[in-house]
Formats: sequence, structure tokens, C-alpha cells
Amino acid sequence: MKILTLILAGGTGKELSVLTRHRAKTAVPFGGRYRIIDFCLSNCVHSGMHEIAILAQYSPKSLIDHIGMGKPWDLDRKSGGVYILQPTYNGEAAQWYLGTADALYQNLDLIRNSRAEMILVLSGDQVYVMDYRRMLEYHLARGTACTLAIKKVHPSQRSRFGMVRRSRDGLVTAFKEKPTQSTFRFASLGIYLFRRDFLLDTLEAGKRDIVFDIIMPLLARGDVAGYEFEGYWEDIGSIPSYYRASLQLLKHRLLITDPDWPIFTQGGGLPPARCADGSRVSNSIVADGCVVKGTVTGSILFPGVTVERGAVVRDSIVFPFTRVGAGARVTKAILDKFVRVGEGASIGVRPGPAGTARNAVSPGRQPDAGTDIAVVGRKARILQGVTVSAGALVEPHAIARTRRKR
Amino acid sequence: MRTVAFILAGGVGKRLSLLTRYRAKPAVPFGGRYRIIDFTLTNCVRSGIDEVYVLTQYISRSLVRHIGIGKPWDLDRMTGGLHVLHPHLGYQATDWYRGTADAMYQNISVLKGLACENVMILSGDHVYLMDYRGFIGFHLEGGKPASVGLVRVPRSLTREFGIASIDRSGNITKFVEKPATSDSNLASMGIYIFNKEFLISVLKQLESSHADLDFGKHVIPHLVSKDQVSGYEFKGYWLDIGTLKSYYMASLELLRERPRLKLCNTSFPVLTVPDDAPPFVVTGEASVSNSLICNGCLIRGEVHSSILSPGVTVEKGARVESSILFNECTIGSGAEVRNTIIDKAALIGPRARVGFGEPGTPNRLHPEYLDFGITIIGKKTVVPGGIHIGTNCLVSGTLDRGLIPRHEIEDGESSVAADLRL
Repeated sequence: MKILTLILAGGTGKELSVLTRHRAKTAVPFGGRYRIIDFCLSNCVHSGMHEIAILAQYSPKSLIDHIGMGKPWDLDRKSGGVYILQPTYNGEAAQWYLGTADALYQNLDLIRNSRAEMILVLSGDQVYVMDYRRMLEYHLARGTACTLAIKKVHPSQRSRFGMVRRSRDGLVTAFKEKPTQSTFRFASLGIYLFRRDFLLDTLEAGKRDIVFDIIMPLLARGDVAGYEFEGYWEDIGSIPSYYRASLQLLKHRLLITDPDWPIFTQGGGLPPARCADGSRVSNSIVADGCVVKGTVTGSILFPGVTVERGAVVRDSIVFPFTRVGAGARVTKAILDKFVRVGEGASIGVRPGPAGTARNAVSPGRQPDAGTDIAVVGRKARILQGVTVSAGALVEPHAIARTRRKR
Repeated sequence: MRTVAFILAGGVGKRLSLLTRYRAKPAVPFGGRYRIIDFTLTNCVRSGIDEVYVLTQYISRSLVRHIGIGKPWDLDRMTGGLHVLHPHLGYQATDWYRGTADAMYQNISVLKGLACENVMILSGDHVYLMDYRGFIGFHLEGGKPASVGLVRVPRSLTREFGIASIDRSGNITKFVEKPATSDSNLASMGIYIFNKEFLISVLKQLESSHADLDFGKHVIPHLVSKDQVSGYEFKGYWLDIGTLKSYYMASLELLRERPRLKLCNTSFPVLTVPDDAPPFVVTGEASVSNSLICNGCLIRGEVHSSILSPGVTVEKGARVESSILFNECTIGSGAEVRNTIIDKAALIGPRARVGFGEPGTPNRLHPEYLDFGITIIGKKTVVPGGIHIGTNCLVSGTLDRGLIPRHEIEDGESSVAADLRL
């Protein structure tokens, strides 16, 4: 059966703070060498789905660079393949994608011209490993116009998701978007399978949202099935969830190391990582091209990171080509690409007894109230000896200096 | 002025022992994630050479698979690009390649059809990073129809190379292959540039008198005698991976604080087939120091002063020291490995001890090249748990406890299945 896959990758991802200042959320680095979109792209090719369109609109440059013509996923094909669709001027009115359903509607031609029988709609900003063929089988067995992937979530998490009720025969009977309280046990994962003819009939101008404008009206007809997914699934919605999902890889590394389900990505052209004499590396994920002369524990280092002698990187995520200077300390922090941490600087210092963080700088706003994860934007420079406190946020290209004593 | 390169990649590499049992020498892994031929291919494309012919002969499967259509080197091109020339049957008498120049002679029709002025002859067995444009410029200025790349070697090693003497203007006045004594220490790197038409005529002229026509043995000495060769001195790091010892020493030299071969030079990165492996994982109880580690490794034990190719697993309590582990090896829990080269996909059983012994006993099968205190474990060898393997040992095949009654392979002994012996 032919499937056309549409990956929604247009979100601004504001909740990811400086990490999405210059890149689409789907292009945020994850897991030591990947970008978030690699997971659903790899799922597609492992599931035998080779016709994929990525609907992008926010800061797509790094996404476009990353996807290229789809070579790493063997999607540089004669039939099918991967392409990126951005909003275009159609001769009458030019407008941005106004919502998930509107993005599909603006690409109605693509769906109409496709010879696929089913349309798979995915979010590009989720981390999970899933064989979509299982969902397709379920969908075909139910014979509904639409099937949602759903997953049981802890009651405390229900307010984060669209929650659904599923009947015994597998049909979705009710759907509540981010309810403050709910007795529904299943969250919708934002993974949808539609019959093509249904989608062609229903998409029209003015319908903006897949959930409200397309799925909700179907519920009464009993035409939506709920496919339960039991594997690991994480929506990268905020700095804390990004941080948590990343460091979970240290324990649940099968997500990236399963030889039967490799995650494909670009790159891989750097020399092996070098752990110098006297370095200490433990409980960490380290990519190629890294040079570690200091200590790295509980952390993830992306390609080309340098940790100089005497530096300590602990419980942190360090993006490609960032350099941590000699004697510097980085604790519970996310450092974006090309950051320079000067000699003896400290990042992620907790406000301790009076006087210990006297030199601390906390430029900018807090990324997320209540988080103690320090985030340093792309190409920022933390000068020698400067202290950046826990939970602080350093803007891209900013230079963090020591505040003069008054 | 276009230059087209020919890479001679057919040598047997017998002195690399088990490492070349299943692969040609240019396909032997080096520096963790590279294969030896990557250096020469990288040099070509970095020097603007975009038409490269690779001459293969000895067990070329993994080599051909590695270079494929030349994608990692951007040699998958409409014009030029990468082509493999394997010995083949033809209308006229044809044969295996019997010498380096004979290999070129057998491809003389390819040579004749090239749209270029100069032809560069390279070897796939060398590890070095060199911008050939300096050499090519020198050749064009020199006015001689042939040029040889030269490098200074220690006086003690001159008898292993072709040694040249040059005059002030760079002309080679004397060239002796492997001289017993010599007053020059300028060794031929085995890389040459010829005017294409000149090379064709020389090959035709000399082929009839030497069946095993060789550049170092026949062509260059003949041309030197006619004063037709200049010598270009390359001042960088260059190594011919000739022996197990040079392979092992050159590999471990990469671990130095400032290795002479700069793998990490971002302006001249070595190009190779990209890998799909995840970054490497080091668990909480592991320790790693002074090592090169590739993607896809899982380290739960100790790794010191070693090179791990992609996909190596070191289990809990295992200890690896001063060793080179090829792709997909597994070191079982509690095993100890020292001064050992372990070929691809080998498995060292739990609590085995490999490479521990006195280096004084050379290997009895191959005393001439395995006498410096390392042990070689062949590709896909399964070493049973608890066994003790000494030093200067060659071990290959499946060592099943039932088949091998010993719990120990002593220093200098070998356990190599009969069909794997070289």
C-alpha cells in the first residue's frame, strides 16, 4: 500500500528558548549526533515509507541543510524521496501556514496528485522509535477515516496533552485538548493516519487545526480509531523536557544503539574522539571529533567538542564545536554550538551561602520559571573566570563578563 | 594542465600477516575509522585531482566496497570520478598485474584515452597528508618528463627503500633500489608524475624486456640513467605501512599529544565512508584515557592507550591497554588485553588474558615480522573465556575448547586454522 507521509515541522518551539532562536525545533540537536527530526525520518524509512514531505516555515535553514536531498536516509530516490515544502505564493493570496490543517490544505495538490491511499501525518519534534506499519495494520482493520496513535500517560501529565477516551472496540469516543483535569487515560501523540479520499473531501479553507477542525467532527460518526503505542515517546516541548529526555539516553541508550533500528543522520566525517592522557570520562555519550583532556561525567558531548585540561563537565549537554577552557566547570547546563567557555569559568553554579556566587551573571530572562538548567546560546562567550548561575540564560552571541564590584 | 591519478592498490601486504588475510593492504583499518587508502584518496581530492583510477588485484572485495563510487571523496562525478581497474581478460594476451609498471602497461588503453597532460602514479599503502599541487608545480617547472616524490628517512632504514641522490637543480643523478650502503637518505615515496605521452612510450619500450616491470626496480633507474627524472622532496610525515611493527607503532603514535599525522586538522580532514553508528557510550563504572574512540563503541570496562574502531564493546571489568581493536570486536567481562591487535568482529571470552608474556620469543611461524612483543587475533576469531594467550602469538579461527585442548597459547606460538595460513 502506498503511503504519503507529511511531517509537520513548522513550529517555532519558543519554549526551547535560545536553542530555537536560529533553528527550527525539529532541527535541534539531540542524543549526541542527531537532530530531533532524524527519529521520525528514520522511523519512516524503517517502516518502508519512502515518500515524505516536510512542511516547514520557521527558521528552516538548518533543517534544509540537514535534510539535503535525503541521502543519509536513502531518500534520494527516483520515485518518492523527501522534499521540504514551505508556504508559497499561489498567485492569489500569500499566507503562512495558519495551523496544522491549514498546512495540509495549502499542500492539497500534493495529496491530490499522490497515488498514495493513506496519508500519514507526523510531528517532527518528537523522540520515539515506532514501526508505522503496525499502526497501518490497525487502521486498516478498523476501517476508519482516521487513526490516532495514543499512549497511556501518568495522571499528573494529562494537562500537557490532548487526552482521549477509547472504547472497547478501539474507537476514540472523546477528545479533550490539554484538560486541567481528566479521567481519560490516553494522550494523543500527534501521529495521524488518514484515508486519502477522506482528507481530500474534508480539507478546505478556514479549517486550521487537525484536532479541532478535522478529528473532533469525526468523533460523532465513530470514524476515528485509537492505536495504542507502548514504546518510549517524548515530545520535546520545553527546556526541562529536552534536558530530561537527553540524559535519559544514558540509561535507556537502546533508543540510539539498536542495531536493528539505527537512527540515520547527516555528518559523521570527523576523526575518532580523543580521550587524552589524564582525562576521565564516565557515564557519558561522546561523539566523534571530541577532544577530552578534562573530566566528563553524566553528560552528552556532540561532535567536535573540546574539554580542556582540568575542566569538569557534569550532567550537561554540549552541542557541536563548543570549547570548554582549562579548569572551567560546567554543571547542569546546555551549551549550544560554538560556545566558548573561558579558562576557570563556571556555569550552573547554585546560589550558595552568601558570597560564593558574588561574580555570578544572569543575563537575560529565565528560560523556564523554576528550572535550574543553565542555557548558553550559540556562539556566546563566557569570559575567563566568569560565573554563570544555575538556571541562567545567556543569549546567542552574548559575551558574559564579570560584573564590576560596586 | 590536468593531472589524472592512478593508485596502485593491488599489493598482497604479506608482512601485515593476518590483517591482510581477508583484505588488500590499502583496505586495512588505520586510526580507528579510516582505511589506509583514505589518505591517498583524500590527498588527491584536496589537491584538485578529480579523476582517479584504483588498480586492484589482491582480495579486493572490501577495498572495492569501501571506495564504492567515490562518494565520500566527492568522486561520484559526471566527468572524471573514480574508477576501479582490475586485471581482466581481453582480446590480446592479458594476465595478472606482475609489477607496478606492468599494471600500468596492461591499462595502456585507458592511459591513451585520457584527456590530460600528466599522470600521477600513487600507492594505496601509504599514510600521509600531502598537497600534491606543490609536487605537480615542481614537475611542470622542472622540465623533465618524470618526477619522483622523495622523503628523508633515518640512515638506518635506507636499505629498505629506493634511495636517490639529487643535484642542486633537483635532478636525480643516482637511484639505487634497497642499497646495502648509501651516502644519501632521500628515499623514493613510490609516487611519481609522468608526462602522459612519455609514460606510454617508456612502458611500451621496457615491457618487452621485463615481464614484472616495476617502477622502482626498472623504470626509474632506466630513466635516471638517461637523466630524465627530477626529485621533489616532501617535508611532511610519510609512512609506508610495510610491516606489522610499522603499523603498530604508527597507530599508537596517533595517541601522542602532538602526533606527526594530524588526523584532527580541520582544514585537511581525512575523508572516509561516513558511519551510521551512534556516538560512543561510556558507563558509570568505566574509565578511558589516552585513547582514540570511534562512534558506536560501548565501554563498560577500562581502556587505556588504545585505538577502538567503530562498534567495539568492552564489557564490565575488562581491561584493554596499548591495543588496536578493529570494528565490532567484543572484549568479554573481566578479560584483559594488552599489546594486541584484534581484527574485525573477534570475540575475546570472559576473563581471557591476551598478550601477556615475555617479548623475547619471536613467533615461530613468522619470526621475521612478529618478534616485537605484540599478539594478533584474526578476523572473527572466537577466543574462549579464561584462556591465556602470550605475546608474539598469531591466533585465528574459532578456538573451541573442545578442539584446542590447551588453556594456554604460549609466547611465540600460533593457533591458525590451516586454511588461514599465509
